[in-house]
Amino acid sequence: MKKKYVEMLYGYLFVIPVIIGVLLFVIYPIFTGFYYSFTNYSPLDVSRNTVNANIQEEIEIQYNLDPSSTSLEEFTAGFDIVTFLDYGLLIDVSGVKKDILIRNFDYKLFYSDFAGNALNKTVNVADALKKYITKDSNKVFPSYKPGFKGFENYRKLLFKDDLFWLTIGNSFFYAIFVVLIQTLLAVILAISANGKKRGVAFFKTVFFIPSITSSAAICTIFMIIYNKSGVLNNVLGYFGVEPIEWLVNPDTALPAVMAMAIWTTAGYFMVTFLAGLQSIPAEMYESAEIDGANTLQCFTHITIPFLRPQIVYVVILGTIGCLQVFDQIYFLITNMKSATIAFYIYRTAFKYGDMGYASGMAVVLFVIIFTVTTLQRKFIKESVE
Amino acid sequence: MKKCVFLFASVLFFAVMALPAFTVTEVRITGWPGNDGENKGIDNMVTSFNATHPDIKVIWEPIANNYPDQIKTRLAGGTAADLMYIDVSIFEEFAKSGSLLPLDTYMKDFAWKDIPQPLVDGFTYNKRIYGVAKDFSTLGLYFNKAIFDKYKIAYPKDGITYTEFYKLLKILKDKGVTTPIVVNADFNRLIPFINAYGGKVVDDNLRSGFGDPNTIRAVEDYVNMVVRDKVGQTASSLGAGWEAEAFGKEQVAMIMSGPWCIGYLRDTFPNVFKTTGIVEMPKDKKQATMIYTVCWSVNKNTKNRAACIEVLKYLVTGGQEIFMKASGVLGSSLINAAKDTDPIKKAFYAGAKYGTPWRIPTPSGNFSKANDEINRGLTEALAGKLSVADFCKQVVAGYDQWIE
Repeated sequence: MKKKYVEMLYGYLFVIPVIIGVLLFVIYPIFTGFYYSFTNYSPLDVSRNTVNANIQEEIEIQYNLDPSSTSLEEFTAGFDIVTFLDYGLLIDVSGVKKDILIRNFDYKLFYSDFAGNALNKTVNVADALKKYITKDSNKVFPSYKPGFKGFENYRKLLFKDDLFWLTIGNSFFYAIFVVLIQTLLAVILAISANGKKRGVAFFKTVFFIPSITSSAAICTIFMIIYNKSGVLNNVLGYFGVEPIEWLVNPDTALPAVMAMAIWTTAGYFMVTFLAGLQSIPAEMYESAEIDGANTLQCFTHITIPFLRPQIVYVVILGTIGCLQVFDQIYFLITNMKSATIAFYIYRTAFKYGDMGYASGMAVVLFVIIFTVTTLQRKFIKESVE
Repeated sequence: MKKCVFLFASVLFFAVMALPAFTVTEVRITGWPGNDGENKGIDNMVTSFNATHPDIKVIWEPIANNYPDQIKTRLAGGTAADLMYIDVSIFEEFAKSGSLLPLDTYMKDFAWKDIPQPLVDGFTYNKRIYGVAKDFSTLGLYFNKAIFDKYKIAYPKDGITYTEFYKLLKILKDKGVTTPIVVNADFNRLIPFINAYGGKVVDDNLRSGFGDPNTIRAVEDYVNMVVRDKVGQTASSLGAGWEAEAFGKEQVAMIMSGPWCIGYLRDTFPNVFKTTGIVEMPKDKKQATMIYTVCWSVNKNTKNRAACIEVLKYLVTGGQEIFMKASGVLGSSLINAAKDTDPIKKAFYAGAKYGTPWRIPTPSGNFSKANDEINRGLTEALAGKLSVADFCKQVVAGYDQWIE
């Protein structure tokens, strides 16, 4: 009995680094993100009330009051704590905080420390001033709490934000076509790479290379390809096609990025299908051949059903990845009209400074992906019956 | 005994050696070096400062990518540098959040009059100054003299009006220049047109000025260069990465751009650069140009205010001269600007007097989303897919929500 517990303890000790990591970097951000989606959280406001300053120096600079020669009367006539904090140090002292300061600030004590040179060191102003506030000092310098907005963020993004729906639509457009084509292409690549022809290993490598190349490098190459005077337009020019600005024209920008994405990931999923193909017993094909099945029948009745688990895996993973696509959009798309939801979330959070709203969109995206995946699992059966 | 003396002596020696290290104040400065020249300029500036100030050590910590995002997260996490670049276009957001030190209080003795007023205004928020411009750029009209000579057309001059300017574009087109000018699908390049026409970007209540008839007229003329008159195209539709590339490749005869093209043209297209002329932006009811500038601001949470202020003063006066030499930028200090006699920069310096800083005031301090949305509409308008009237209506209708 005791031994069992000890063993359990050891087990937990071994996994505790991972548990802590997951809690800290996965679970905690998920829940805070969810919380922030109900607020107007703005990162820049966090450190608003954290000010390090030498209070005596500040008073000398701002009010021209010298601690050695200023009397209490002169001091109280010239110095006012609310203006000092608000105007001089940009500390938020609006509303209740102001009232408390006016009522409870002990100027006498403050002055005696000022005159006694006790304030002549760099300190955290909020902490240092608490001493002089006789009552409710905790309410004057509260630590930052984002304003609670309830469902306001959700209401706005669901009913008022055109760009939200536009980018969601783009994401779905992207996901549907990329997943369909890349899965199909991956299966075809896998089948052709599964043969025993010469040079197969070389082609396998070639197909796989894009998926291990950095996204930034691939995007740079495609930027050159898609340029108006780039390779693609040059090739099309031979067939009399007018040059197109692939990445600028709103009609072609997203499809151009999608083509690149398919090219990049098809090789990666090919490996998954290759593994699946190798697990199909050869006898199946032999007996089918004896029964007189042609290649196409073999493909639809043996290969596809046996690859089902891999197809489910590739489709689900592909859908999740595509709905969250960010890097390629970030590198290649210049116009918000062709942006996807993940890119819009990023811009909202970091460029528009609205972390709360962005969190709300992230939660909605999570719900969408969760629903889509659940539906997929429900309708695409994983095992052969 | 001997050992003891030796030990004592060595302790004393190390103590003396270590003493200066304890009194040196470190000041970390950060920014994004736009190019090698700028990076070198800052390095030179820092080296020269550190050599003359034994009590302060300046450390340059450049941030290569996504500067605004990075600095925001660092400010929130309390790890931001003491002195930092803030671009005028995102300045309001930072000033409003109380992250920057109000410099009017701490630099009372600074010669503010040595900086052109629009540059001071660019970094003023609620009547307080939070940054000193490190340099600036304005827009000017570049033209390729070789093309004008070839078709025997008179060069544009300073003081050219918009009417004359549009006429010039038509003459160029008629004489055989397929695309006389690059038109940028960027809102900030449209603003000088709006301001010159007497229009408004935002009205006095900070609501959209896209309903103003003068604004609409300016947008119409801007878009019509591409859509109706076909005298202009975007750089990308010419197959160029940006306007200076199209200009260098002689795909166009003129561009409206800033001094940042000078170095690029000189290095990449030296032959075109030799025949390049630059005049001030055209005028209509008023003369107008855009001022792009970045300031040095002090992190409010710095632990060394006095040292920061001292470094800052150096960076925008004596240091700026060193910086200008290496990077070729325009000096924001009038004293340094007076020493810069490069004739090619004349039109840009002139713009500092009447230009508008690239900063749109909003009640919330945020303009980035509105900028994206306006650019989205402008791109469509320039592609001929959205009429100017609808574009302007769209901006007026959506604006309040974009700047929330």
